Amino acid sequence: MQTVIKTEGLSKTYTNTAVPVHALKDVNLEFKEGEFTAIVGPSGSGKTTFLNVIGGLDKPTKGKVVIDDIDIATMKESKLFDFRMRHIGFVFQAYNLIPVLTAVENVSFIMLLQKRPKKEMEQRAKEMLEQVGLSDKLNTRPAQLSGGQQQRVAVARALASRPDFVLADEPTANLDTESAFNLLDIMARLNKEENITLIFSTHDQRVIDRARRVITLVDGAVDKDEHFERN
Amino acid sequence: MITTALVLGIMGGIFSAAIRLAAEEQQFEDTIENMVSHIQIHHPEFIANPEAHYRIPDGKRIAEEIGDQAGTAALSARLVMDGMAASANMNTGVRIKGIQKEAESQTTKLDQLLEEGTYFEEDWRLPSVVIGRQLAKDLLVETGSRIVLTFQDIDGEIVSSSFRVEALYTVTSRRFEERTVFVKADVLGELVGETDAVTEIAILIEDAERYREVTDDLRTQYPDLEIRHWADMEPALYFSLEVLDQMLIYLVGVIILGVSFGLLNTILMSILERVRELGILLSIGMKRMKVFSMVVMETTMVALIGGTAGLVLSFFMIRILNQHGVNIPGGEGLEDFGFAAVLYPDLPTSFYFEIGGVVILFAILASIYPAWKAIRLAPAEAVRAE
Repeated sequence: MQTVIKTEGLSKTYTNTAVPVHALKDVNLEFKEGEFTAIVGPSGSGKTTFLNVIGGLDKPTKGKVVIDDIDIATMKESKLFDFRMRHIGFVFQAYNLIPVLTAVENVSFIMLLQKRPKKEMEQRAKEMLEQVGLSDKLNTRPAQLSGGQQQRVAVARALASRPDFVLADEPTANLDTESAFNLLDIMARLNKEENITLIFSTHDQRVIDRARRVITLVDGAVDKDEHFERN
Repeated sequence: MITTALVLGIMGGIFSAAIRLAAEEQQFEDTIENMVSHIQIHHPEFIANPEAHYRIPDGKRIAEEIGDQAGTAALSARLVMDGMAASANMNTGVRIKGIQKEAESQTTKLDQLLEEGTYFEEDWRLPSVVIGRQLAKDLLVETGSRIVLTFQDIDGEIVSSSFRVEALYTVTSRRFEERTVFVKADVLGELVGETDAVTEIAILIEDAERYREVTDDLRTQYPDLEIRHWADMEPALYFSLEVLDQMLIYLVGVIILGVSFGLLNTILMSILERVRELGILLSIGMKRMKVFSMVVMETTMVALIGGTAGLVLSFFMIRILNQHGVNIPGGEGLEDFGFAAVLYPDLPTSFYFEIGGVVILFAILASIYPAWKAIRLAPAEAVRAE
């Protein structure tokens, strides 16, 4: 399988605090195409920082993040914005949908930024919302959707532009058990059907139990990197 | 919310500006067009001694010459002098103006200022006099009453004659109302001993802004006469109008600044409320310049909608107030100083476009700082903002 993301000697130190915080320490990891990975660890272990750095939302203090043979850590900001838009899908803990847009508009938004043809955009957005079981909520605004439904829209948004990989930061943290399982089922199915690499940061055992690879971070360093066979 | 603030701000500002302009125009119209005129010509001694003796040499001919000149809108050649007015009950000092009926109505619109009675139409045995409402009160007379005017003829002899009050006029200045009476020039001329005597030429010019230029031209033409423009005659009014002009500029400036800072504050607040939303946009790949232009565009739209609504509502508000008038609290007392108690606000249409343009321009300028703040957001932190 092809390597989608490779990190080499990745370190991140926050110096804007009273005492410098070493959030990531020499992290060397590779993620292959189609992997379903959970990044786990206690609070403050560096999970979110890791996702932010490999997602190009934050710059590492040291090291490389190689995606498509390009080190995004050295990329200019304007190119990085474009890169994120074309290669990475994000799912956030708090759903983070745009409140004034309907479900279908939220899902179409990235494709709009990508300047895709309108017809293709609408078709893909509807298709993705159908895939996450929200074909009856196309024109509903986020405020009228439950937490689980909003997160499903967020997943549809992340996948709609066919990114190389999706980064999901604690996606089930705000969901009840039924919604969480429902979402995980959808993500697992899409992972298989669309062959999209999924990387989650999570505390949630339900997510960990589904992941085929579990990386444990402790104090910003890789403690364990385990692979599991799952259906 | 922003739109409402913008609409109310513009309406409030335009109302204040319209009231100030109305006060300015009312004062100018009442004082200049109804009382003083743009330019007056006298014998040099007449200012200190307003008597028939100090008449303008060849006054009729000079009046005709000026009347024929381009730029003269109206002209009234008068026989003016100070004297006394007495009724059976009271007497008081007055300025007696001998006028030609038609010329005066064109120059000071005296015929339109009548509150009661007719404009030199009665054919009574006694000659007619038109007096101010206030003088009628002071002398305890009414239309139809007889009063006696006493003055000096051209030789300095005292002359008294009875007149019948044909009409009462009213202007905003009580002082003018109790001090000025109008009679026909030919009647007064006969009484002073020279039917063609002219002591005052009041001129209205077509382009009111050119009063200084026209005065200078007349001074060159008639160097032996005392020629003064309204700003010389009414320096207090001139300075008050200048102050009003300045105040209007400051007022409009304050409105625009107020609206701009209101917008700036509201947009900043909305940026703070939308940190997470902007963080998402930045995270998913919207470029900072696009976020910047989005905030500026949003503000421009708000300013366009709010500005247009504010201007349209202001336009109708001023139209309605112009028809019904605005009562100035305590305005009765202001009449002693030449201010009207009821103002009829009006604004030129161009003013709405000017203020609209400036408000929108400032609104766009006010959006730059919040837009800059928006693009300074770190997407990783912004998406986690509460």
